[in-house]
Amino acid sequence: MVSLPIADAATHATPETAPKMTARHVNVYYGAKQAIDDVSIDVGMDNVTAFIGPSGCGKSTFLRTLNRMNDTVASARVEGTITLDGEDIYASSMDVVQLRARVGMVFQKPNPFPKSIFENVAYGPRIHGLAASKADLHQIVEKSLRRAGLWEEVKDRLTDSGTALSGGQQQRLCIARAIAVDPEVILMDEPCSALDPIATAKIEELIHELRGRYAIVIVTHNMQQAARVSQKTAFFHLGHLVEYGDTSSIFTTPRETRTKDYITGRYG
Amino acid sequence: MNSPAPARRPTDWNSAAMQARIRRRYAAERRFRYTGLAAMLLSAAFLAFLLVTMAANGLRGFTVTEIRLPIDFPRSTLFLDPAALKGFGADAALAGADIEGATARAADQAFGTIGGARLLSDGAWLSVRNAIRHDPAILGGRAEIFVPASTALDLAAKGHGTPEMDATRATLAAKGALRTRISTTFLTGSDATDPTLVGVWGAFKGSLLTMLVTLLLAFPVGVFAALYLEEYAPRNRWTDLIEVSINNLAAVPSIIFGLLGLAVFLNMMHLPRSAPLVGGLTLALMTMPVIVIAGRNAIKAVPPSIRDAALGIGASRVQVVFHHVLPLALPGILTGTIIGMARALGETAPLLMIGMRAFIASPPGGITDPATVLPVQIFLWSDEVSRGFVEKTSAAIIVLLAFLMLMNGLAIYLRNRFETRW
Repeated sequence: MVSLPIADAATHATPETAPKMTARHVNVYYGAKQAIDDVSIDVGMDNVTAFIGPSGCGKSTFLRTLNRMNDTVASARVEGTITLDGEDIYASSMDVVQLRARVGMVFQKPNPFPKSIFENVAYGPRIHGLAASKADLHQIVEKSLRRAGLWEEVKDRLTDSGTALSGGQQQRLCIARAIAVDPEVILMDEPCSALDPIATAKIEELIHELRGRYAIVIVTHNMQQAARVSQKTAFFHLGHLVEYGDTSSIFTTPRETRTKDYITGRYG
Repeated sequence: MNSPAPARRPTDWNSAAMQARIRRRYAAERRFRYTGLAAMLLSAAFLAFLLVTMAANGLRGFTVTEIRLPIDFPRSTLFLDPAALKGFGADAALAGADIEGATARAADQAFGTIGGARLLSDGAWLSVRNAIRHDPAILGGRAEIFVPASTALDLAAKGHGTPEMDATRATLAAKGALRTRISTTFLTGSDATDPTLVGVWGAFKGSLLTMLVTLLLAFPVGVFAALYLEEYAPRNRWTDLIEVSINNLAAVPSIIFGLLGLAVFLNMMHLPRSAPLVGGLTLALMTMPVIVIAGRNAIKAVPPSIRDAALGIGASRVQVVFHHVLPLALPGILTGTIIGMARALGETAPLLMIGMRAFIASPPGGITDPATVLPVQIFLWSDEVSRGFVEKTSAAIIVLLAFLMLMNGLAIYLRNRFETRW
């Protein structure tokens, strides 16, 4: 049963473009406990991919393997192959700092640095040496804030502290910060779970606008949100990838009873 | 046989039992509040008692009693040419003259019937010398110079004299030959055998130099140890052992650090005895664990989300630590450091072990010169038999307390000013 969606994943991948990231037979262990069991998935460039599933199903864990944020957890161990543009990201030749610049991340709770708005966005380009000059850095900051839909709100107070913004603005600042290092993939770990509905709507709108420019993977608890923002949906349960396919078909004609039970609110 | 559960009567919130419970609850709250208030008042009373006692005894230590001493220079045996006192030869000329003898003779002449030169402090001639240096013209005639009085007369003026000395004081006061003024000697001088001449500057400078050595050594080592333990070290049995050892080290009695300093720095490394260098090294051993513990707590208090944020845009671990964790933890680390330094500043026992209890009559010029520190100086003066040292001891305690208050105030200021809140 479990192997079936993997075959599906292959067939659903857009044939003309190679997937941006692929995962094959990935297992993740926290000490002796297995958190992810044999997950294989492709993440396309032009899609927003949503990971859904009940709490503790491993969707966030799996997301964090995609930019090796699990490296910071001493007990975590990853097996299997994950590639970015065909390159194994767990290979010893892969520089984890560069990987995280290419695969950016937005976290559950908005976590701006306790520095100015400008510094928050400028930090990434600065440490990676992306700006040739001060003017160039200003341009990068402005472009990133514009893309994150925050420029008009903060252009007059770039020196104010990033932590003084509202929750929704903070989260868009975090997205601007991720965009500023010009990533290829953006991972979002329940980016709206700490936000009110209006701020959530703005983030979703932003995800629509960013689609196509970046490969976006979003973990969400909110199934309406998955339906609204994603083209592909993966349903995780107890560390397994139960079903993966086009969002429209997952939500209308799920093949698995577990998926159907979850999206109809039977559990989770 | 399932008998239906007896129907519960609705809760009567106004019953006598309920009212009694409410009264008991209020009484318990009152008792708690009054106990807390009493505890706080008691500690405030202790503090007030300490400060008032110190101020009452010590403030007089900052004043000096002076006698107006008439000197008839042309008739004195002081052969000094005013012309020689201009320019470079002045100090040599002054050093060659018997100002001390001339002062004593002038005192015998003026107060011969009531004690003569014994009424003057041992250092009285220094005031005369300074007056001459300040204005060589006075050598041409009769001058009246205020010079420090002897300890016995000083005490009499401050209400602690013997009956005979009180009588003398009354005689002098009737002639208008006595005055009491705030003296800078106590803040600028060093240890001396005569209590009217002692000062805390030597000990204070010794304390500053010792603290400097302590800070330069304990701060970087403590901060880097804390950073390594929190941010890099794997969690295993070895790091647990190190953690226990560091906590233990912070609780080791300071006299043991003194013995360690004596054995290692003096006996093995042959560093100079009584020097701020050795004192600072010994106190650094004591302060370092305090800084490590404070530093680790401050680093732990930096939310992990900040580390995630920085790692997530591709910062290396060193960049995460130095761009984000350390700046955010620094106010806490500094507060802990200052509190550790304040503790080291008040430390006496380990410094006695390494010989910083010597009689040092001149301020140290560097970290290898013999020196003493404020708390040791207080300890030494409290041991002196002369009554004059009592108020000097209290005055030195006031200086030490003021310095400690300054340091702790700085710690609170830093914490409030730079602490980031989430």
